[in-house]
Amino acid sequence: MTAALAFPVLFAAKSDGAVREAAEPTDDDLVAAARRGDHDAFASLVRRHKPRVFGTAARFARDDHQLDDLAQDVFVRAFQKLAQFRHDAPFAHWLARITITACYDFLRKERRIRDRVALDSIEYELRDSSVEGAIAAGRARELLAWGMRQLTSEEQLILTLCELEERPMKEVAALTGWSESNVKVRAFRARHSLRKILEDHHDS
Amino acid sequence: MTPEAADPLDALFRAARESAPDTSRIELAFETRLLARLREPRGASIFSWAWKLAPFFAVVVLALGMWNRASAAHLESTASLVAEAVREHPERLVLSLVARAGDR
Repeated sequence: MTAALAFPVLFAAKSDGAVREAAEPTDDDLVAAARRGDHDAFASLVRRHKPRVFGTAARFARDDHQLDDLAQDVFVRAFQKLAQFRHDAPFAHWLARITITACYDFLRKERRIRDRVALDSIEYELRDSSVEGAIAAGRARELLAWGMRQLTSEEQLILTLCELEERPMKEVAALTGWSESNVKVRAFRARHSLRKILEDHHDS
Repeated sequence: MTPEAADPLDALFRAARESAPDTSRIELAFETRLLARLREPRGASIFSWAWKLAPFFAVVVLALGMWNRASAAHLESTASLVAEAVREHPERLVLSLVARAGDR
C-alpha cells in the first residue's frame, strides 16, 4: 500500500497547497508583501498594472520622455502611499485615482511652463489646418493635442477622461472627486471652449 | 447620419481615440528603471526635508536676533544709567560697596 493510499487526507491537503502556491498571487497579497519592503512584489504589481497607467498617461504626455517620467511618478506615488491603501476598493481603482491626480498635476505644471514659452513652429503649422483636413491627413491626435493645450488643466483633464477614454460620468466623478453634475457642466464647457478654439484659429 | 455623428469635434475625438500611441517601447524594462529609482539612497529626501524645515529655522533665527537686540538695548540703557549715577553721586557708589562688603 502506498503512502498516498494510507494517508489520503494528508496528501490531498499537500496537493491543495501546491496548487495554491503555483497560483498567481492576488493584488492584495502583493500589496502586503510590498508593504513589508519586498520590492519584487511591487515590481509584479507594476508589471500587472502598467498597461492601464501607460494608456492613460499617454493621453497627457507630449513625448516618450514625458510619458516615462509621468508613469514613474504615478508608481513612485503609489509606492509611497501603499500604507494608506485600505483594501476597501480594488487596487486598480486606487491606482487609477493616483494616476489621474498625477496627470492633473502634470498638466498644471505644463501649463505654467507653457505660459512662459512661445508657441513652436509645429503649432503654427497645425493652426491652419481644418478638423476635417487634419483627420484626413492622419494628424487628428496632433491637432487635438494642440487645441487641448489652449484649454485649462481642468478642461484638458475632463475632455481626456470623458471623450478620449470614454469613461462614464460616474467614474470620472469618482476619479476627480467632483460631483457628477459638476463633471457634466465642466465637460460641456470644455467642449464648447475647444470647439471655439478650433473654429477661431481655422477662420483666422 | 445623426447630427452628433456629423459633429467635427466628435469625429476628431473618434480619430484621436483610434490612433492611440504605441507605448510598448517605453514600457520595456520600466520596472527595472522604477525600482532603481525607488532604491536610490534617501539623501535627496533628507535634502527636501531640510528645505521644508527652512521656514522654521528662519523664524528661530529671527526670534533669536530680536531677543538679542532687545537684551542688548536693555543692557545699554542699564549701563548708561549706572554710569550717569556714578558720575553724579560717586559717594553713593562707595557707600553701597562698603555696605555690601559689610553684609558679607
